[in-house]
Amino acid sequence: MTSSVAMTQTASSQEKPGIWLCRGICCLLLLTMETSVYAQDDLPILDLNNPVRLNFEGSWEKDFQRSDKWEEELNRVMRLRQEQATLQRSGISTHSNPSVSLGNINLNSSRRGVNIVNLARLAEYIGRQTTMEIIQDRNEVRIERRGEAPLICGMETGPTNTFSSAHGFETCGWDRNQLVFEITLPEDLYITHQFAVSSDGSSLRLVTSIQSGGNIPFTLNQAFNRYEAPPDQYNCIQTISRGRMCSQRTPLD
Amino acid sequence: MAVVNKSYFCFLILSLGSCAQNIPVPVEPLIPSVGTVILDQNIVTPADSEALEIGVRVFENPLAAEGTVGFGDLAFNEIRDNETHYLPYLLRNTLLESNHWGAVRVLPQNDPSMDLLIAGSVIKSDGQRLELHIEVKDSTGREWLNKDYADVTQEEDFPESTRYTPGNRFEAGSFVDPFQDLYDQINNDLVALRDAIPAEQLIDIKRVSQMVYAADLSPDSFSNTLTADSAGRLSVNSLPALDDPMIARVEDMRLRHHLFIDTVDEYYQALYEDMQPSYVTWRRYSYDQIEQTESALQEAYDASRYSSSRSYLTLTQRYDRYRWSKIYELEFQELATGFNREIAPAILELNKQVHGLSGTMEEQYIQWRRILRELFALETGQL
Repeated sequence: MTSSVAMTQTASSQEKPGIWLCRGICCLLLLTMETSVYAQDDLPILDLNNPVRLNFEGSWEKDFQRSDKWEEELNRVMRLRQEQATLQRSGISTHSNPSVSLGNINLNSSRRGVNIVNLARLAEYIGRQTTMEIIQDRNEVRIERRGEAPLICGMETGPTNTFSSAHGFETCGWDRNQLVFEITLPEDLYITHQFAVSSDGSSLRLVTSIQSGGNIPFTLNQAFNRYEAPPDQYNCIQTISRGRMCSQRTPLD
Repeated sequence: MAVVNKSYFCFLILSLGSCAQNIPVPVEPLIPSVGTVILDQNIVTPADSEALEIGVRVFENPLAAEGTVGFGDLAFNEIRDNETHYLPYLLRNTLLESNHWGAVRVLPQNDPSMDLLIAGSVIKSDGQRLELHIEVKDSTGREWLNKDYADVTQEEDFPESTRYTPGNRFEAGSFVDPFQDLYDQINNDLVALRDAIPAEQLIDIKRVSQMVYAADLSPDSFSNTLTADSAGRLSVNSLPALDDPMIARVEDMRLRHHLFIDTVDEYYQALYEDMQPSYVTWRRYSYDQIEQTESALQEAYDASRYSSSRSYLTLTQRYDRYRWSKIYELEFQELATGFNREIAPAILELNKQVHGLSGTMEEQYIQWRRILRELFALETGQL
């Protein structure tokens, strides 16, 4: 018994240098592999086909303090036009804008367009949502707003036709770092949404502009702040034969 | 600068729009619909020696081959790919139901043991219209059919069970495919063509297919039994004796091969059964969507009707019409994705490994034919 223990001890002591060498090599290999894995994770995958875009992803809530109020913006536009008309009547040319007379400040319907009050009210109707959710990946940006169809745009440079029906069509594209959607409705009614995010990613600006029949557009600026929305409790998928199927989210989802 | 950029963006959009308007779109003549068709059914089951065996190849998807899948079309293209497995099975069932033919099987590839081979491609498929291009050739190389078929559906073709509501179950037993007339017409055309061929030539077709299979199995031994004329039509120039041991082995191999392709056919049947409830419901959605789009087009913006007032209410109505049409369109796209997601397990099941074989059903089929060739060579001592 004693001799067998002694033999085992002798054998293990003889194996020690080999075992330690093996362990050392294994540790070194593991360390190298781990380092290379981390190094791979740290390095962003460079995809030259996809242009780099700012990150719009997140939950956004309207900052009422910094957003235009449609009535105030309308008053401001009207006041400007009245001033311009007065200047023109006194013979002072402003050069920057088309001639406006007091009888033509676009308060009433012009021959082609819609009056500015109605454009302003429509801008308020379109931008009525107080929150929005933006999902972004390497291929597209998806802007979800309650009660609205999502605005979806790819990352490609150049305009893309994203929707078309008898009731209007939608085009999207990138203007430098701004994401632009242009919606054309019947009777020359144009709606443009321009999304821009601040460099620190904390606030987002949405400029909605509505134009009718080539007249001066009415523009509404809205500011949004990023907020932490509570995670969605359910994971839902659409199926054909069972309708919408939802399951409770697990921490792994 | 921002104004310049915006102007540039607007210019691009307008250029894109004007380009799209200026390109003349070629108008394809519409394939006439088959209308109402009654299936030509045979009361007496034909004798085995007369009944032609038919292989229906999995259909082709020309959209995927042309690479014309555009923005937002990926889910719809995937549906088309899935349809190429489903629709041949409907044709196969119709041919069997007519009782004019021998075995009819859906196959992933051309099969040398078949008397008649049907190949098809899906030109158009939605809830309202189906257009197929069908080509049929017999084993001698004679072309039976090379024709476009089309059929349209009506509201009555979709019973209430095809509309999804909680608790409403699809009744497969009583369901008749909305495009059944199209498949009936293909069968009736084939029956008419077969009836016009003299009985001796029909027997020749069966002889040729026997020798084509033998030549496929062992080209060295049997390729000299067939000759092709200037048009490429095959005929048998010398038949081996009935008690020829090589022919007996070929028949043995052919039997094994048919057992395999029967199994393959069963896989397609399982896929068809799994896919049917979702597919029929999907078609119903598609039919509703097309009906809705067409009615929207008929009510297309009428300036005299709507723009008499440029009131706020008119503007919001104009915006809401656009908003709802987009919501509806995106929901339809989501349903398309949902359909593909739902039948994905059935497609996976189809491509699951058959004992000893791997890859998709198409790949497994090729492997099987190679194994049979090797087995034949081994048994006849050619190796």
